[in-house]
Amino acid sequence: MTSKKIIQKCTTWILILITSLFVVVPVYIIITASFKNERDIFEAPMALWTSNSGLFNFKQLDKFPLYIWNSIKVTFFCTVIQLGTASTSAYAFSKLKWKGRDTLFVLYLMSMMIPIQVIIIPQFMVIKTLGLYNTHLALILVGSFTVFGTFLMKQFFITLPDSLMESARMDGAHEWTIFLKIVLPLAKTVLATVLIFSFRWFWNEFFSALIYLTSPELKTLPLGMTDFVSEYLVYFGPQMAAAMISIIPVMILFFSLQRYFIQGIASSGIKG
Amino acid sequence: MKRKSLERVGWPTILSFLLPGFTGFLLFIFIPMISTLGVAFTNYSGGPNWKFIGLRNFQILLTSPQFHQSLKVTLTFAVYTVILQILMGLLFAVLLNQQLRGKTFFRSLFFMPNVLSTVGVSLAFSMICNPALGFANQILAGLGLPGSAWLTSTDTALMSIIIVTLWMSFGYYMIIFLGGLQSINPALYEAASIDGATGFQSFYKVTLPMLSPTMFFAMTISIIGSFKVFDQVFMMTGGSLGGGPAGSTNVVVFDVYLNSFTHYKFGYASAESLILLLIVLAITLIQFRNQKKWVTYDI
Repeated sequence: MTSKKIIQKCTTWILILITSLFVVVPVYIIITASFKNERDIFEAPMALWTSNSGLFNFKQLDKFPLYIWNSIKVTFFCTVIQLGTASTSAYAFSKLKWKGRDTLFVLYLMSMMIPIQVIIIPQFMVIKTLGLYNTHLALILVGSFTVFGTFLMKQFFITLPDSLMESARMDGAHEWTIFLKIVLPLAKTVLATVLIFSFRWFWNEFFSALIYLTSPELKTLPLGMTDFVSEYLVYFGPQMAAAMISIIPVMILFFSLQRYFIQGIASSGIKG
Repeated sequence: MKRKSLERVGWPTILSFLLPGFTGFLLFIFIPMISTLGVAFTNYSGGPNWKFIGLRNFQILLTSPQFHQSLKVTLTFAVYTVILQILMGLLFAVLLNQQLRGKTFFRSLFFMPNVLSTVGVSLAFSMICNPALGFANQILAGLGLPGSAWLTSTDTALMSIIIVTLWMSFGYYMIIFLGGLQSINPALYEAASIDGATGFQSFYKVTLPMLSPTMFFAMTISIIGSFKVFDQVFMMTGGSLGGGPAGSTNVVVFDVYLNSFTHYKFGYASAESLILLLIVLAITLIQFRNQKKWVTYDI
């Protein structure tokens, strides 16, 4: 190795290690602080565990089991419904021929550009008119479709050869039979990708919950965490315990299924 | 023959596939989008008595210091986050695209913050940024540097939010660029090195042009994403009283939220939304126009 290469390698490692610290330290702080009392949280140097550590912060989160349950409920229904709507729409947008198909799809894609806050007022009025204000159903319906998921699924369906459907059609199979029996079983990987993205989205979803839910007993986990936000600083220990509850499940999911996360992102960015 | 059998699928079948997703899209995206256009010209405030007031909302907005301030904050936020996200994403994509021990682990590690709850992360950073006792100032003190007021000063509050956003998002851009890098034909680098190109030259002459479609995609989603920032602002600047200190983090979408759900000025907030939408559209259009100049799709 030439000296130039060695310098290059060292620089690479220094950059990677510094950035790793930048990434890891906040997570470390959440974990350590959630077990400590207020006095020990700001102690330097930070220790993962001190003799005063315990689960007392978690015991203060008495409403959180309810918030978690609400989050699980909303996330489950939204994710399942999104898988259904994304795969069927993507099939209609890629494997069926109809007038105005491509125009409508461009409209779908364009809507990804719109910040949700921009259309929240009329959306709010639609929800109110349907009599769904302050219900979980509001969140589920607003999240009942996914433009990004439809896009991902469409990208995948395009790669399936048309001859696959042709032969089944020749045999007189209904389009739904083809979709359910032939196409979906082939789409397991992309379904898993969309599932993960939907799960992550709804588990962390905050804005719609903030707008549509007012009853304390309906709060989802991210909304429940606003219990700790006020002008005057409250206790950090319970805050971090709450943050940990929201963060750890997705982290576990992520590290066990990282392949799908990364594949989904990468395949959305490549040209074509 | 083939073509004919494809066309045989009738509208009832097509609609049965399309409608489940399209109904939601129509009800919650498309119709609201069209209605925003209408509401913006009224003084609607949630009650039964509202009237059409023409361009009044827009007139007020154009002279409102608060709106000017929030436009400035949004643009500042967008410029910094877009540039930093692209630069950091590209840098680490290039670094982790080399032969390197543990590169898969570091790729996952850098991407990981992206899956976490913004609300949870914001709480953590609020603590880290605590001016009196927070970890950020402990580190600065350890390095012999003066501490910062972080979220409590108008000079640094927006910067703190930019840092949190970057913490969560740079891994996402890294993965997008990695996808782009891996689609570059290795033969191009071989050709470059035969021609005697240095590492920097082949990066500049091969990598960057070949990466330009990915760059274009990354810039587009980064710009659009930066105009949507809300959760961090809400959580880190005091909930529905937020956007402070002194409006220094009051991005337009947060101002829209304040005007609609705190002050119930729905008409006014819709006008504000419309202006924001036009800005996002204009920037995206300019980007699409300009892409011809620098994005290479051939080779």
